[in-house]
Amino acid sequence: MRVVICGVGALGSAVAMACRNLDVSLRLVDFDRVESKNLRSQAFVKQSVGKNKAQALKMQLQNFYGVKVEAKGVRLAAGNVAELLGGAGLVLDCFDNAASRQLICDYVREHATPCLHGALSADGTYGMVRWDVAFTPDAEDAPGQPTCENGDHLPFIGIVSSVLARTVSEFVQDGAQLNAMVSLSGVQRS
Amino acid sequence: MAILNITYNGLSVDYKANVADNMRDPDIRRTAVELIRSGQLRGLHIAHLPEDAFRDYVVDRLPTAGGARIYLRPKVPFGS
Repeated sequence: MRVVICGVGALGSAVAMACRNLDVSLRLVDFDRVESKNLRSQAFVKQSVGKNKAQALKMQLQNFYGVKVEAKGVRLAAGNVAELLGGAGLVLDCFDNAASRQLICDYVREHATPCLHGALSADGTYGMVRWDVAFTPDAEDAPGQPTCENGDHLPFIGIVSSVLARTVSEFVQDGAQLNAMVSLSGVQRS
Repeated sequence: MAILNITYNGLSVDYKANVADNMRDPDIRRTAVELIRSGQLRGLHIAHLPEDAFRDYVVDRLPTAGGARIYLRPKVPFGS
């Protein structure tokens, strides 16, 4: 099964790392480049600064763990969504903006592709793991709203990404589709 | 009827009494403020919670195996 991870920033990079033992073919999609500040909250190493995030994560997985993945260092857009998501057995949405998330929703609903969304609140106290049937993208409160870049939320990002990876694993193994809500109180699955 | 779950300040609590599943979103936000102010939610008691504390929060209505649930939660715009 091919699993396409859209967005390999805070959540996506950690999920990719946690999914490295699954018997799937991973494809990473992200146009962005690694900045020094990303090292505080994302799964990148200092040597990756300046590189495209998808390519950098591909190299890290290959060099550190011997895991081969496919990297697409481009911005997901209406013109390439079919090429990037085509053939996916599961799409994992870890984007950071409503427009890109909606693009994924439109594609997976039209093509009946299973899709799992991972999302974080701005204050790093709440996370959501939700299958597409019950998902609506949330907009930022204000454009450019500060997020998890300073590293304060790293432990919480770790919890949410672990729940995401576990949910992916269960889907790959037996098709289970459990949602989860993650807060500082714990994880509530349904 | 539905179970109302409220998440605020990183804490997530179920309100044990059921609420009407057709309750309007503004009423859910108002109810949540009153419940938190009055201390009816275990572990989530803020006597002087501002009236507009949930202004930017999202109301989700989900059917689950355990029955209908209404979630009042922060927005989650981020991931990458």
